[in-house]
Amino acid sequence: MATTDDGQFLKKVSGRNTRGLLRVIILCLIAGAAVSSRLFSVIRFESIIHEFDPWFNFRATKYLVQNGFYSFWDWFDDRTWHPLGRVTGGTLYPGLMVTSGIIYHLLRFLALPVDIRNICVLLAPGFSGLTALATYLLTSEMVTSPSAGLLAAAFMGITPGYISRSVAGSYDNEAIAIFLLVFTFYLWIKAVKLGSMFWGALTALFYGYMVSAWGGYVFITNLLPLHAFVLICMGRYSPRLYVSYCSWYALGTLASMQIPFVGFLPIRSSEHMSALGVFGLLQLVGFVEWVRTQLPNKQFQTLLRALVLVVFVVALGALVLLTFSGVIAPWTGRFYSLWDTGYAKIHIPIIASVSEHQPTAWPAFFFDLNMMIWLFPAGVYMCFKTLTDEQVFIVIYAVLASYFAGVMVRLMLTLTPIVCVAAAMAFSQILDTYLDTKTPKADAKTNESPADSAKVAAAAVLPDSLRSTRTPYIGIYSYASKITVIGASAIYLLLFVLHCTWVTSNAYSSPSVVLASRLPDGSQHIIDDYREAYYWLRQNTPENAKIMSWWDYGYQIGGMADRPTLVDNNTWNNTHIATVGKAMSSREEVSYPIMRQHEVDYVLVVFGGLLRYSGDDINKFLWMVRIAEGIWPEEVKERDFFTPRGEYRVDDQATPTMRNSLMYKMSYYNYNSLFPAGQAEDRVRGAKLPAEGPQLSTVEEAFTSENWIIRIYKVKDLDNFGRDHQSAVAFDHGHKKKRASKKKGPRVLRVE
Amino acid sequence: MRWLQLLTAAVLPLTALAAKKSSGDRFNDFHKASVSSAPLKLDDASFAQLTKAPRNYSVAVLLTALETRFGCQLCREFQPEWDLLGKSWIKGDKNGESRMLFGTLDFVDGKNTFQSFMLQTAPVLFFFHPTTGPHAKRDAQPVRYDFAGPASAEQVHTWVSRQLPGETRKPAIVRPINWMKIISVTTAVLGLVTFIAVAAPYIVPILQNRNLWAAFSLITVLLFTSGHMFNHIRKTPYVAGDGKGGMQYFAGGFSNQFGLESQIVAAMYGVLAFATIFIALKVPRIADPRAQQFAVFLWSVVLLGMYSFLLSVFRMKNGGYPFYLPPF
Repeated sequence: MATTDDGQFLKKVSGRNTRGLLRVIILCLIAGAAVSSRLFSVIRFESIIHEFDPWFNFRATKYLVQNGFYSFWDWFDDRTWHPLGRVTGGTLYPGLMVTSGIIYHLLRFLALPVDIRNICVLLAPGFSGLTALATYLLTSEMVTSPSAGLLAAAFMGITPGYISRSVAGSYDNEAIAIFLLVFTFYLWIKAVKLGSMFWGALTALFYGYMVSAWGGYVFITNLLPLHAFVLICMGRYSPRLYVSYCSWYALGTLASMQIPFVGFLPIRSSEHMSALGVFGLLQLVGFVEWVRTQLPNKQFQTLLRALVLVVFVVALGALVLLTFSGVIAPWTGRFYSLWDTGYAKIHIPIIASVSEHQPTAWPAFFFDLNMMIWLFPAGVYMCFKTLTDEQVFIVIYAVLASYFAGVMVRLMLTLTPIVCVAAAMAFSQILDTYLDTKTPKADAKTNESPADSAKVAAAAVLPDSLRSTRTPYIGIYSYASKITVIGASAIYLLLFVLHCTWVTSNAYSSPSVVLASRLPDGSQHIIDDYREAYYWLRQNTPENAKIMSWWDYGYQIGGMADRPTLVDNNTWNNTHIATVGKAMSSREEVSYPIMRQHEVDYVLVVFGGLLRYSGDDINKFLWMVRIAEGIWPEEVKERDFFTPRGEYRVDDQATPTMRNSLMYKMSYYNYNSLFPAGQAEDRVRGAKLPAEGPQLSTVEEAFTSENWIIRIYKVKDLDNFGRDHQSAVAFDHGHKKKRASKKKGPRVLRVE
Repeated sequence: MRWLQLLTAAVLPLTALAAKKSSGDRFNDFHKASVSSAPLKLDDASFAQLTKAPRNYSVAVLLTALETRFGCQLCREFQPEWDLLGKSWIKGDKNGESRMLFGTLDFVDGKNTFQSFMLQTAPVLFFFHPTTGPHAKRDAQPVRYDFAGPASAEQVHTWVSRQLPGETRKPAIVRPINWMKIISVTTAVLGLVTFIAVAAPYIVPILQNRNLWAAFSLITVLLFTSGHMFNHIRKTPYVAGDGKGGMQYFAGGFSNQFGLESQIVAAMYGVLAFATIFIALKVPRIADPRAQQFAVFLWSVVLLGMYSFLLSVFRMKNGGYPFYLPPF
């Protein structure tokens, strides 16, 4: 912005160099701001990996660094999904791990031995600086104004919509994928503009990198063909488009097929068919255009046009036929649920259960994008002014990404870059106009005949022409106007920066492994129950002790406790997850055989009742029930967990099924010993608990963390005397064996 | 005992069929009756007869209230599905190998049955397991199907199939081909093609109108960024009362909204975006200096006021939000 109002002396060659230097300095500062605004969590807590998925990525990266690339590629992990195991090397996107592996080895080569954990923690902030740079490049391709790119870079650097997924420690695929997304788009725009095979090939290269890094590559796979298709429909076919698209598609598809997880999907699944279809269409259109230059005959052209249409329709029909016959895989549930929004809830509860797959309410948009959310439509409108090929891209991207972001909170991430670009275009237009020191000479005619005030007002509200660009550009007459607008803009920008800092600091910098709270005197208190429990597991259990927990904690147990788990956040096997759900939601007599059969040694539950921690297992419990019900509708019924009045309760009104479920028992076991008799209270759900706490017979309490967030239970071995556990416990309590309990009880596993 | 059974059968309205040649086997009688009209239309007496205790076949009975005065929307929605299920089953199992019968008992014909089961709601679907024979269940109580919203024939079919023993043949549901729909769709498509072919000279200019596309894109963007899809997916109420006779336009809570609320927000975004466009593009093209000055002030005030209001609304949704702009 400093470059916009430079004076006369900067117009020469030296001026250009100075401006270039200024721009580089500004970009470096922006990158610095982007990195440093993501360091809140490191400063407040420590250099630690956040949340859930990053723990798996971290574990995989450690494996890569220790065992080398090839054994990473062929990695079969027998410590997850016990007893099935997981073909990890073939079922992950390796881009992230390989990137950090390369950085690690590079730094060691430069004699800078940095711990791999620190590289992983700081990878996302580092790449956010690059994203800001890529946004600058992309925006500079869109408009002539030099300030727009810098503004866009600054927006991208600090907007919470992107920070949410790239704070230090959030070592996830998105950390590098957003940079790759923006940079691929920049290369694509460059390729379309120049019609260059070189830039097309570069697009393909970075597209391949993107495929290796994030499943969201499908967004590029569909957006670029859509752009090409719209251009063709607008009659803007050109050899430039042909060259850039064909080189991208051919090379990019080959590159994407090198990733084992993707494999032959690019030619066999519906998500990729639009790219193939547009590739074919381009060949047809190219052929017709070539024939047209050879034959000026009018009728022949009509015939050709009809031919293109017919071939297009036939190809589409063939595609549909192949899809129905099963050669081409239909849309996968994850993508299909974006269009048919009710689909996931009915058919794939496991997808619907994840909070980041929920639809987005408007406050979330404002929270993540602040004032850019209303600059965004203005910027999109400005694209319609000239509507060059690359501005068509902005429009398509804007419409599609806002739809996706509305359907799924998580996809706000793909919307953010285009919002930054469009908002910067709108904002820089204002700045460029009002920061111009030149004042136009007022027309003599208007000065002579001062119009009456009504006319002036009418002209101000509704100018002669509604079309904004029909009348010639004049400029701003008075300094008062300039100061008003620039002052207001400065305030809005300032507010934006404050907002971003506040949001980042308050909402997005918590590692979620470590919780923070404030003591009454205002000092910070760290709640470290997760790590306490995981380290207890690491130090007090045999190395091959199998831990059963809900899938949310699988990656963390694998990463921090280094113990085998039954299910984890990969969620590839719904039945296995449902098995765990069934064990959690059934009576002990049913759960015990399941746990024995899966060789479970310890069960881990998360309980927030003492600390008002709302993300605990009792609140997630209904999802376990639902997922289990999907597989065993006869044995687990969601209805049984609700009272006759349809309430989900945990107090003495809770249904017998609820009170006898393993999860309920493990959560509240011994909990009332913390309180005076009869006053036990669950603080999350605000419920008074029954005076008599639940009794456990097949598992015993092994560990409970400081604030009771994590509770670990050991699964008992079979009774020495061959009794079932209930009677063994009853015997220990000194109860007499009841003869009356002869009636056929629930089945108990007999293991000889 | 035999004559008693025949006697009761003679009283039944079903006698028209049963009395012809009563084989003495209740299943065969009812099965024969249901071949002509499945599922069976029952009343109190025939229901009792059908579900009487020694029973070597399975029965699924839908207790429903079809008449409009009962206001049972779900009953009426489910009835065609239920009839379809009964018909397809009997069609696929003409000889009664599955030993499975379907019946419908309307409240008008079966008040006593409703009372004896102490039913307050409808529809209710009971499944009676056989009490004798190889697949007999010891528990004589019928199994009840939970209607959680409208159920399709397929859903009920899977439920019924689960109740039956594994090796029994379970005829699949055959939905009749909807010729009407096929014909109307074909006609509509052909009509549309013709219309497009005829009207192309008039439509193409509209399709190529840049302003139209601009309006379309902006409206879509505004719609989606103001949370329309949230309303659509979560089926949020349009507006709610505040309990004091007034209206509550903004829902409390960060991840909560009303239909009207998102429209208000979209309008606010629209005004803000329009003010921005005006200041950026149109004001510099106003030739009259005074008009321009006035326009700048006017639209700056609109922008400030609207943004301030937006922030105040957001503060309402998100309690701890510290920033605001005057005047709101």
